[in-house]
Amino acid sequence: MPMPASAPSSISAAAQSVVATLPHALWRADQMGSYQGVVTASGYPALDRELPNGGWPHSALIELLLQQAGSGEIRLLQPALARIARQRRIVLLQPPHLPQIGAWNASGLASEQLLWIKAARSADALWSAEQVLRNGSCGALLLWQSHIRGEALRRLHLAAQAGDTMLWVLRPLSAAHESSPSPLRLTLRPARGGVEIQLLKRKGPQHEHAFYLPLSAVIPETEPAAAAPLTPSTPLTTSTARNHGSLDRHTPAAAGAGNIAPALV
Amino acid sequence: MLAVLEHDQVLTMTASAAASGIRPGMRRGGVLALAPQASLCERDLAREQGARDDIALTLLQYTPEVAHAEEDSLLLDISASLSAFGGRLALCRRIRESIQALGFTPHVSMAPTAQGAWLLARHRRHAPGLARQRRSLRLASMQRRLDALPFMILPAARPYQEWLAGIGCQTLADLRKLPRAGLQRRSDKYILETLDRAYGTAPEMFEWVQAPQTFCAWLELPDRIEHAEAVLFAARRLILQMVGWLVAQQLAVSRFLLSLEHERGRQAIAPTPLEISLAEPAWHEEHLLRLLKERLGRLQLDAPVIALRLQASQVAAMLPPTASLFPEPGGAPGAYARLLELLSARLGSENVLKPAALADHRPEIANAWQAATDNSRQRPQEETLRQIQPQRPFWLLQQPLALTWRNNRPFYGSPLSLLSGPERIECGWWDGAATVRDYFVAEGEDAACYWIYRERDDDDFRWFLHGLFA
Repeated sequence: MPMPASAPSSISAAAQSVVATLPHALWRADQMGSYQGVVTASGYPALDRELPNGGWPHSALIELLLQQAGSGEIRLLQPALARIARQRRIVLLQPPHLPQIGAWNASGLASEQLLWIKAARSADALWSAEQVLRNGSCGALLLWQSHIRGEALRRLHLAAQAGDTMLWVLRPLSAAHESSPSPLRLTLRPARGGVEIQLLKRKGPQHEHAFYLPLSAVIPETEPAAAAPLTPSTPLTTSTARNHGSLDRHTPAAAGAGNIAPALV
Repeated sequence: MLAVLEHDQVLTMTASAAASGIRPGMRRGGVLALAPQASLCERDLAREQGARDDIALTLLQYTPEVAHAEEDSLLLDISASLSAFGGRLALCRRIRESIQALGFTPHVSMAPTAQGAWLLARHRRHAPGLARQRRSLRLASMQRRLDALPFMILPAARPYQEWLAGIGCQTLADLRKLPRAGLQRRSDKYILETLDRAYGTAPEMFEWVQAPQTFCAWLELPDRIEHAEAVLFAARRLILQMVGWLVAQQLAVSRFLLSLEHERGRQAIAPTPLEISLAEPAWHEEHLLRLLKERLGRLQLDAPVIALRLQASQVAAMLPPTASLFPEPGGAPGAYARLLELLSARLGSENVLKPAALADHRPEIANAWQAATDNSRQRPQEETLRQIQPQRPFWLLQQPLALTWRNNRPFYGSPLSLLSGPERIECGWWDGAATVRDYFVAEGEDAACYWIYRERDDDDFRWFLHGLFA
């Protein structure tokens, strides 16, 4: 509860001194909280401003609630994952589709650092997640689960707190109404050239409205190797998209793009 | 309820048998009259020796100096192991736990001389009420404790029990006060020798247990076991022995074989082999046990198991711990290999994958993964990988999804508009999986980006969804 600053009281003075000695143990609901732990910058200054301590927290369960697979979740995590992949491994646990090695390589993530775990049952997936977290040799764990119970989430959160591995749990948007022990919950919706983020829960003041975060473009404007990852761009630049070796210029398609383009674009 | 007989006389019995009135020295008929349901078995000296050997092998992990001693006891020289295992109390606890895991109940004591420790442990066995005073660290305190012990626990003094008691001897202190020359003349030299060794005035000599060159242990199960998980409890005893052997030989196991032997009879069934290969040689009990547990959990038994055999089929030299001062961020170097083994043991190695990209234009072929524990296939050259870097989505669909065609647009949830393309892929005519496709990046009305392709087949176009940009 925010205390009126003008109220002259001995309790408040005592509280002030306690607060000064314990900066991490106490935060007021109207201030941004701070963790004792380490964070990894998300790579997007606009997002870092909204996250306590200015980045993705280590040793905590982070929930990303997606409208559907392919809402921009990997592009959102890509700068953080790229930083982790320089030294440590990234585990993909029960991803919704096949991860494509070429795409991970192209976005600057060393693909040899990837480990893809397929689990037939949800219990196996949760067990694997716990083993990965307890082992501590991997830098990040991305877990996709559509149905996950509160106890299991709490258990994962505890396992994450014990280690240094970053844990993102990606769940469908419908889970937003369920309670969760996670200290940081975000919903992601696709938006043109970026993603629409709403912070459902964080250690800080309540975040009322969703905000738009421009992400790196799906279609790079220049050569892919030289593409700046953080420039927000309108992806409607068909003519400038020159993908390396992608177009066979000598034999145009039987019904080339020009024939149907007016109807499509 | 169980009693052990030797020469048709009860030698020892379980607590429940003692409660029903069975005493040492009773005959078979008397036991059956008191407790008809009691099961009697003959003493088997060979199996006793086998049990002592098993325990000695297990205890080799705590010190290389283990010796057999008289009356079912083992002597361990732990003076060099104290700091490695966290002090004497922790070491005693671990030794006791190891022996209990093998299914035996130890009496552990500790003293500056081996014979002194032996006497303290024997006394504890004869007087179980005295739980304290089993550990002495200094010679003086050990001698004080030994002085109070009855001389009966000295095996060499037992033949002379009556006349020693007749001249007023009660304790070891009384025995030591007797004139040495007279005692030696009237008894034999062993009493004095043992006393001197116990009190630290004479040197001690031991014949240390030598670990065998290869490891192969066999265990008969007390009952037929029908569930694979239940085998784990018994297998733990064998694993403990193997750990003791590995540490004694300074080796780490990289492959071991657990054979589950079935009942012999008219239909003899070959033992079920369970071979476990480790990516990184290990000698840690908990890691080996966890691997075994996950593998046993997936095993279906055809017939009940009556015995187990554990064999270390491939060993390597034990690697020293890392020499770096600060812990590395990824944990210990072997930790990742251990994680892969554990995951593969439970999920199957085909479900724990690492990238093994192929140089191919077809995305479903280029995007190849292989088992993470499999190191056979060489990675393609970096050059090749770098060259294949066109626009690719993060997610590839397992099966391309056929799209409908509405209002001259491909339709997936909403009409899709094409953002870029086409990227033409025409290859595979040489291996039968010919592909003639134009790939486009498309965007739905909710701004999600898709990777779709148009399959050109004569004049007919069919549209498919093949990937999602995440």
